[in-house]
Amino acid sequence: MKPMREVAIVGIGQHPWGQFPEKSMQDMGVECIVSALKDANMSWRDIQSAAFGAYMWIADRGGVPSLLMGTSIARMMGETGIPMVNCVNACASGQAILREAVLAVASGHVDTAIAIAADKSAGGFFRPQLRDASPTKFDRGGENDTDYIRFCMTGETNPAYWAMELRRRMYDVGTTDEVLAMAKHMTSEGAVHNPYARYRKVFTMEEIQASKYIADPLRLFEICATSDGAAAVIVTTMENAKKYSKKPLLVKAITIGTPTFGDPTIRLTFCSAFPRPGVPDLSESRNAIKAIYKMSGLQPADIDIIELPDNSSWHYLVYLECILGLKTGEADKMLMSGKVHPITGELPVCSGGGVAAQGEAVVAQGLSQVCQLVRQMRGECGEGQVKKTKLVNGLAQTYGYAGNNAACILHKAW
Amino acid sequence: MAKQQVPIIEGLFTWPSQKPQLLASKCKKCGSYFFPKVAYCGNPDCPKDKANMEVVPLSNTGKMYTFTIHTAQPAHPFRMEPFKPYGVAMVDVPEGMRVLGMTTTTEGLKIGQAVEMTVGKLYEDAENEYITWMWKPVEK
Repeated sequence: MKPMREVAIVGIGQHPWGQFPEKSMQDMGVECIVSALKDANMSWRDIQSAAFGAYMWIADRGGVPSLLMGTSIARMMGETGIPMVNCVNACASGQAILREAVLAVASGHVDTAIAIAADKSAGGFFRPQLRDASPTKFDRGGENDTDYIRFCMTGETNPAYWAMELRRRMYDVGTTDEVLAMAKHMTSEGAVHNPYARYRKVFTMEEIQASKYIADPLRLFEICATSDGAAAVIVTTMENAKKYSKKPLLVKAITIGTPTFGDPTIRLTFCSAFPRPGVPDLSESRNAIKAIYKMSGLQPADIDIIELPDNSSWHYLVYLECILGLKTGEADKMLMSGKVHPITGELPVCSGGGVAAQGEAVVAQGLSQVCQLVRQMRGECGEGQVKKTKLVNGLAQTYGYAGNNAACILHKAW
Repeated sequence: MAKQQVPIIEGLFTWPSQKPQLLASKCKKCGSYFFPKVAYCGNPDCPKDKANMEVVPLSNTGKMYTFTIHTAQPAHPFRMEPFKPYGVAMVDVPEGMRVLGMTTTTEGLKIGQAVEMTVGKLYEDAENEYITWMWKPVEK
């Protein structure tokens, strides 16, 4: 087998996050492809391979064309006969498809590839997609649908799971209400000048702490909304990158994380766990982080800017610890110190306000994080630009339910 | 006449029963437990042989690992009529498994407290009451 080639990001396109009832997911995807092509000075015919995020909620809306997003969008862009693949890895899909595009180029299969995801997740709590008018007559397929079982039999919504992990954290290391509110307050200061954020305002500590409980101890403003959103990222060989971009970003490492047997976490969509000695919680996330540090030869101290999946204030804390290799509880102190302020911090985290300010658009979320890293590392964020000037290595990690994770490290290559 | 109590989804716990128990799968080779039942042992080092798996009722006692009080109403297909805030918990059972489930009350829940498994109604129609398994704090 030939050695892998170095791969760089040369074009990004993003649609703002929010609610856009006048547009289809495919419309939003096309807009992002057009922006990304323009950013890379390319035409659609330059794209030799494409990976798409496949919509997860097709029983609610979108139907099969939104699952088979590739050929659906190709009908709009114009069919060029290139390989296309559709992928669902829950909220980690965005970076999963970027990995697919990167591998297509790294392997020598093609020279230029694109990852595209468009999503309309709006609509409150995520819910099972099984449609069974008579749930007592559970068919053979349904027996494996632990998502349906947990939802109907235990009332466990996604925030309920996060809240349970959080309560245990509060019990174990004393995380306070103030810390939870601060995670939202501080990241919201990054959203004000991010044109792609849905909530471009500063949430005060008072209003966050006065917001109602959804799943005690998590409050409304400490949980991300669900949004419409779309993004696209174009990659090519490092060798060719300078032809397309003055500021290419080398993809130093990218991977998908899945769990280790014996993880004590009762992951979303499951009803139980069988903990085994020595296996950590959130193993899918820790596996992904371990892998990207190994691939890149970097360590936490080398990372200059972070996009982490702050789906809730609990996520903010545990993912800061996961990414930096901290002990449980240490993220609380780091947050309160201001070191991780999105704009002024010495280690900016969630510079555009994070998932909290965007609301989650499931399969597109990972690409949005990558787009934000690229804009910051290129220095294109205007009033939202981080104050820190040394931005050599940027890390993004996406949380996904049911044990799906993805993470990458981008490296300044100019 | 009292309405019949029917599990919302059948086959997850012994029913009808005075002392209902969750039905898990146990691997005869490695001793791992899974709930709900599974066809194959999820241990990567175990052979994928359905004959290795036996259905076992779990102890109906446990210890509260964590919980939440859910105040917002989930969407369909979750049904609770009338809706009221409810508890959801993770409970460690003696078999070494951690199991999800609603709680019978939202009052006085504590990490580490002893609980036992029971059933509770979420909704009803003209003939039946529809039930699920629930964790009930035990006075000690």
